[in-house]
Amino acid sequence: MIDRIKKALEAEEIGTWAVNETRSESAEVFFVKKNMDLKRRTDLTDWSVSVYRTMETEGGKLLGSSSVPVYPGMEDAELRQTLREAYFAASFAGNRYYDLIEGQREPHEPSKSAFAHMTCEEAARIMGSALFASDTEDGVFVNSAEIFAIKRSCRVVNSRGVDVSWDACEVRGEYVVQCVEGRDVETYHSFAYGEPNTEELRRDVEKSLRETRDRAAASEPPKAGTYRVILTGDHVEELLSYYVARSGAGMVYQHYSDYKPGDPVQGTDITGDRLTVELVGVEPFDAEGIRLTDRTLMENGELKLLHGGARFASYLGIEPTGTYRAIRVPTGSTPLEELKREPYLQPVTFSDFQMDPMSGHFAGEIRLAYLFDGHTVTPVTGGSINGNLMEAQKTMRFSQERYVSSTYTGPCAVSLENVPVAGK
Amino acid sequence: MKVPDSPFLTAKKPVLEALLRKLLDRYPFASILAQDASQKSCAVSRRLTNVSMGGRFSARGFVVKVFDGEHWSEHSFSHISEETVPELLEQISATAAMSKAVLPDGIRERVYAAPKSEKLTFHGGTDYEVDPDEVGDGQIVARLTALRDRGLAVSDKLLDCQANLVWQKNHKLYLAPDRELEQNVLWTTGAVLTVAAKGQEIKMSRKSFSALGGAELMDRMDAGVEDVARVTLELLDSQPLTPGEYECVCTPEVTGMIVHEAFGHGVEMDMFVKKRALAEKYVGEYVASPLVTMHDGAAAVPETGSYFFDDEGTMAQDTVIIEKGVLRRGISDYLSAMTLGTAPTGNGRRESYRRKAYTRMTNTWFEAGSDKVEDMIASVKDGLLLCEPSSGMEDPKNWGIQCMVSYAREIKDGRLTGRIFSPIVLTGYVPDLLKSITMMSDGLELGGGGMCGKGYKEWVKVSDGGPWIKARIRLG
Repeated sequence: MIDRIKKALEAEEIGTWAVNETRSESAEVFFVKKNMDLKRRTDLTDWSVSVYRTMETEGGKLLGSSSVPVYPGMEDAELRQTLREAYFAASFAGNRYYDLIEGQREPHEPSKSAFAHMTCEEAARIMGSALFASDTEDGVFVNSAEIFAIKRSCRVVNSRGVDVSWDACEVRGEYVVQCVEGRDVETYHSFAYGEPNTEELRRDVEKSLRETRDRAAASEPPKAGTYRVILTGDHVEELLSYYVARSGAGMVYQHYSDYKPGDPVQGTDITGDRLTVELVGVEPFDAEGIRLTDRTLMENGELKLLHGGARFASYLGIEPTGTYRAIRVPTGSTPLEELKREPYLQPVTFSDFQMDPMSGHFAGEIRLAYLFDGHTVTPVTGGSINGNLMEAQKTMRFSQERYVSSTYTGPCAVSLENVPVAGK
Repeated sequence: MKVPDSPFLTAKKPVLEALLRKLLDRYPFASILAQDASQKSCAVSRRLTNVSMGGRFSARGFVVKVFDGEHWSEHSFSHISEETVPELLEQISATAAMSKAVLPDGIRERVYAAPKSEKLTFHGGTDYEVDPDEVGDGQIVARLTALRDRGLAVSDKLLDCQANLVWQKNHKLYLAPDRELEQNVLWTTGAVLTVAAKGQEIKMSRKSFSALGGAELMDRMDAGVEDVARVTLELLDSQPLTPGEYECVCTPEVTGMIVHEAFGHGVEMDMFVKKRALAEKYVGEYVASPLVTMHDGAAAVPETGSYFFDDEGTMAQDTVIIEKGVLRRGISDYLSAMTLGTAPTGNGRRESYRRKAYTRMTNTWFEAGSDKVEDMIASVKDGLLLCEPSSGMEDPKNWGIQCMVSYAREIKDGRLTGRIFSPIVLTGYVPDLLKSITMMSDGLELGGGGMCGKGYKEWVKVSDGGPWIKARIRLG
């Protein structure tokens, strides 16, 4: 199809363009307790074509763009009509001029994942077996689960020579754990693995079963006030997403962020750990065909880099780094046990924990937290935390222990001082 | 005018009918959902203009659902032609037979009874006044640019003003032994958002617009951009709120978020099947103030959650969920209804042909009451007016509330004082909030500017709303 798209672009005299091709297959399984409720497979191919037109105006040279999906089985006439309409639409979307990424044809990069050597069905089965391996009790159990084993083959081609392709594999899913002993409660969990980490998934489910039992024993929200809060796991990644968002070239160009390299973005009176963050390429290229190499975003609380694709990088006069979706953070120097010596509130599950990169606020309704008053650890449920990272960032202390997910490698816990908590 | 048929689906119908016949030679039941959906958007901000003809709600493809006598399976694919039918048949059969390959250790496959349904045909489209595609991108961008300029003119303290228009034409064809259904739906949404900075902190306010219709929506967007800008400027002086329980008046947008997030997700009956919803135990009981009557239905009102039939071939309905405070029933997809022995309510929805169908809300709202808004505010001695919902998350199992609104205005002795608090987190127990409702306004509004996820995925277009309500709410 890419050749047909190229011919249609040529016939429509569209000289600047980019095409993204995604072919994917998946096996998907849905469980209610220990019954498979439904099985699905998908076999999908999509193309997205972006067309660009240069416009000379009194204010200078502009580049208009528009993107359009192209589907298998499109006849030539429909394909040309679609591209023609997109090119016309681009004339109304004039923005500052920039050049697309320049490149060349590069060898196809197959996935290095062990999933690549399995069928999607096999990948779904082994991860499913791992998910249910610890589900052996009557009082606390996996209520329901969904598993998606996906193989993708991606290709990016543009009018400036870029022609890169790669494969990616992933098994992701979610599960809900229910405890019917004590209060009838549940907790929600999601996972995503680029490798068949069956043992890690089994351990995570085991932990979830334990935590859900604790939630059943919890009956009261914490008292309203301010607490030293310890966030763990995915919530640490969500919290730190603030710095990735604020250093994005698009946010800086639109003046939503004033970050610039060299800024002490963590503040100046830091009483906790100084933060270092690396951007990590999970896949070899991004959607523009930019090779994703690991880069230092922050070092000891200081910003080292603004990041983004061709457009905003050009506007800011910086190197286009590509678009990243994973970070790596060095672990801290404090063992988790030590972080837990003084009183704390440790929420482990929220209804939804959100970090707002625009305002700096982070918040979530607590489904289960452990409250340590200096003597006893008590599970609590209900209430919410509602803090601001711009204030809390100076007090961040990171655990020595590591947590790994498909988009985060770093400390498993962070402690934040004086976080407001709504409770009883 | 009615949204016309998709030429693509019209052209594919004979080959899909042929595929269905061949599937029915092999299986007791099979159905095909074909989708041709195009999303288009125009967006303007201070520094950027974007026009896109793709997006989350653009999709063209097919999903086959097969019942083999005991089990259900689905196969989603992007392409069909007469030449590919034999290969597709084999792929669909392989999917139906893949149980052994995917069943984890110790897991069984659920056995279902054979599906039953009545013969039904339907062919229709929603109404619109102005086709956005005929208006043209140039005129739409020009009108959005004028809105942006009006917003920015309010104050040089504003960092940005964004205006956008998004529309989707969604054509679907559903074929089954007893069903031949075709629908064409057009919805349009718009938004104006202004941005200002207070040091590093960015404050924003937005107003959304929506319609089951076309570019006529833009006439409604002309009003209010200056008000959005002024709220953003007010937010620069907003203060954090002391957590606690407050007497609150909620705007219809906030009522809609409470209806949808706090209660609506809890009556999605696929959650009843999994024993994940507390609501199942409360059918027939008071869960809200007697003032409250709650509906959900794609056929009930013309909004962005409207359609004629759902993605499993069940006709859309208007379901009364809460009647005068008493929980009457939930909403369901086809398989959940089969399991529970209830009738499906036309709420089986897919993000697209690529995804599974789940029980999903459509247009969800509280009926209006009889109070005047000014009387509601005047009745508050010491409380808050909650405005502009920003996000929410469901908790069907425990009826916990997690909803966020952008700001709250202080009310003292029945008057707005001018003090403004931001951001605001609503928390607490759903029935406590709903039972505490003491006043509801005599008008209602629905809005469909946002999307709804099932957990963190499966995004579909919905609308929600209701009247202004007065209730006691725990805030953070």
